[in-house]
Amino acid sequence: MSKTRKGQEDIFEIKWKTDLPYRYSIGKLAVKFFEELKENKKILGSKCPKCEKVHFPPRAVCADCFIKMTLDDMVELPPRGTLEGFTVVNYPFTDPSTGGIRPFPYGYALFKLDGADTYTMHFVNETDVTKMKIGQRVEAVFNDELIGDLTADIPYFRIIKEEE
Amino acid sequence: MTDEIEKKVYRGRIKVPYKHTAGAYVEKFITEIGKNNKIFGVKCPKCGEISVPPKMICFKCFEKMEEWVELGNQGTITGFTVVTHSTPVMPLEPPFAYARIKLDGADTDFVHIINEGDPAKLEIGAKVEAVFKEKPRKRILDIEYFKLI
Amino acid sequence: MTNKTAVVGIGQTKFRSKRRDVNIPEMIYEAVKMALDDAQLEPKDIDAIIIGNMDHFEGINFSELWTGIDAAPGYLKPVVKVATGGTTGSSLAICGYHNIASGIYDKVLVVGWEKLNEGGATTGIITAFDPVWERPSLAGALGPLALMAGMYSAKYGITSEQAAKVTVKNRSNAANNPYAHLQMPDITIDYVMSSQVISYPLRLHDCCPQSEGACALIYANEKEAKKITDTPAWFHAVETAHYYTFGTDDKMYDLPTATIASKKAYKRAGIKNPIKDLDVAEIYEPTSWSELSWTEALGFCKPGEGGKLLDEGITQMSGELPVNPSGGVLSTNPIGATALVRVAEAAIQIMDRGGKRQVPDVEKALAMGFGGSLWTEVMILGNEPLR
Repeated sequence: MSKTRKGQEDIFEIKWKTDLPYRYSIGKLAVKFFEELKENKKILGSKCPKCEKVHFPPRAVCADCFIKMTLDDMVELPPRGTLEGFTVVNYPFTDPSTGGIRPFPYGYALFKLDGADTYTMHFVNETDVTKMKIGQRVEAVFNDELIGDLTADIPYFRIIKEEE
Repeated sequence: MTDEIEKKVYRGRIKVPYKHTAGAYVEKFITEIGKNNKIFGVKCPKCGEISVPPKMICFKCFEKMEEWVELGNQGTITGFTVVTHSTPVMPLEPPFAYARIKLDGADTDFVHIINEGDPAKLEIGAKVEAVFKEKPRKRILDIEYFKLI
Repeated sequence: MTNKTAVVGIGQTKFRSKRRDVNIPEMIYEAVKMALDDAQLEPKDIDAIIIGNMDHFEGINFSELWTGIDAAPGYLKPVVKVATGGTTGSSLAICGYHNIASGIYDKVLVVGWEKLNEGGATTGIITAFDPVWERPSLAGALGPLALMAGMYSAKYGITSEQAAKVTVKNRSNAANNPYAHLQMPDITIDYVMSSQVISYPLRLHDCCPQSEGACALIYANEKEAKKITDTPAWFHAVETAHYYTFGTDDKMYDLPTATIASKKAYKRAGIKNPIKDLDVAEIYEPTSWSELSWTEALGFCKPGEGGKLLDEGITQMSGELPVNPSGGVLSTNPIGATALVRVAEAAIQIMDRGGKRQVPDVEKALAMGFGGSLWTEVMILGNEPLR
């Protein structure tokens, strides 16, 4: 082969950007969750009828028991909990939902809502790691206008200061 | 009913940038078409078959192909359909033909377009010739289309 | 009763951040051809092919359609695709094992690859997760791995210096591995500690790179293996453990799936004390902190003692149980190939073909895959078939 000895930058490269719309069926329990969030500012989890484990986010199957949970198994959880782990994401990457770079740095944490048996992750409005500590109390911050969308309605959790 | 379904659906998008390294074989193939209006294939050292577009490996023999062979600009239609509907990404204004073409001297078929939209004028076995783009863009459409001869 | 199964041919590319000289099938071909030549086999000798990567990382869906023909000689043969995230390589390895152990085939080719510079792992990983609950805040793999590192550190008092020592160990080991991506013979703890914090407590050099490359293995049953090589690397056990719906469902300071999978694998392989009975381990550590935690989960030491294990030099090349002589994932991470490279490197150690990275007298080796929502796969290989 008569090799084209070229600089790597000249090598033929095809660039493209996918833009794929999708419709994801969220399931009955999630529909109920977003209805209650939007209408009544309530947070619901789902409780396994067998082992009584309370799942948040709510879901239709308990992984431990492989038992179906229904709308009747949904339980209200307080918008408060405990910080179990945290980090500050401080690197650039393309957010596939927008196609642009997701704004950073941002606080990202693992919480356990009071009364839940599973942990969950969400944004936290703190980017100074020296101000975060495992065990701190946190609460969900709700947007004034609720539309039934997780990050629009609860943009982040905030750390409750000790004096509060 | 529609409302109920709408509520159960999360509308999202997946927007991701990608790139694809075409490789040195495609690089040479595309460059020769654009710069010199020449179409090249590669020959398998074992079975002797000439592949167009060229690629590194003969999939039947699993041999690396390194012998480049210049082919003419003419070939034969081995299959075709006529595209009549229009979409924003059409290479030509419909109607035009989308065809398998066996270039003279090649052993594999090559997929391209023919600037003829009348099925009555197209037939398997008809001879075609490549028409090259004046301003190449390093795309397979640097062969703008094939025309009937 | 399962058939004895062995690795009899190994191929891998030199891993780099970019391979712009080759396209995907051309890159895969390098590893496959090397494995075939290694086993002195022709494509016609291969009964079936298992191939895998994470499609959405390159944006080419169903790539086995053509990579499984041009690059892995699948013309007129069965080709099966496997994709399980980070564990893709170990799932490939285990599927290959099932194909031989079941008696269905005599010789199979297992191929894992990734060309990560063509897309992006972080973005691709986000699309693997739940659109409603997880995608909005998930920052690929590093966000959750940072949470894990922080919680692990808080629970057991593991320090950043100890984590940095893992990177130093693995990337200096990588200098002995001609295929490794990041080879840093002179790397220091200071160098790691002074790199930017990209997701607290993870610094840049606490994290694996993104690599391009492929790995190919040829497996054979007992009858065929003995014809091909004098030193087959025999599978003694393969185990998989998956986890909850969401990665963040449980406390994340440890890796329960590694504990479960390794315990089962040790039982099958007759391993009573892993630190004594195993001679080498190739584990899937996406971050330096992960290696410390995973060595605990795999039972090399007690919970919380991963740092101590490292400080005592046990996991160093000269130690009682060298971990990642190849340089590990901290040096090389072509996702779909990564866990298969662990198996390849474990087999290389068994076959005594490791050159400068060879651990003396290896009879039993562990290979591990990690990925998904905290999934683990564990494989034990030995220099004799397990009787």
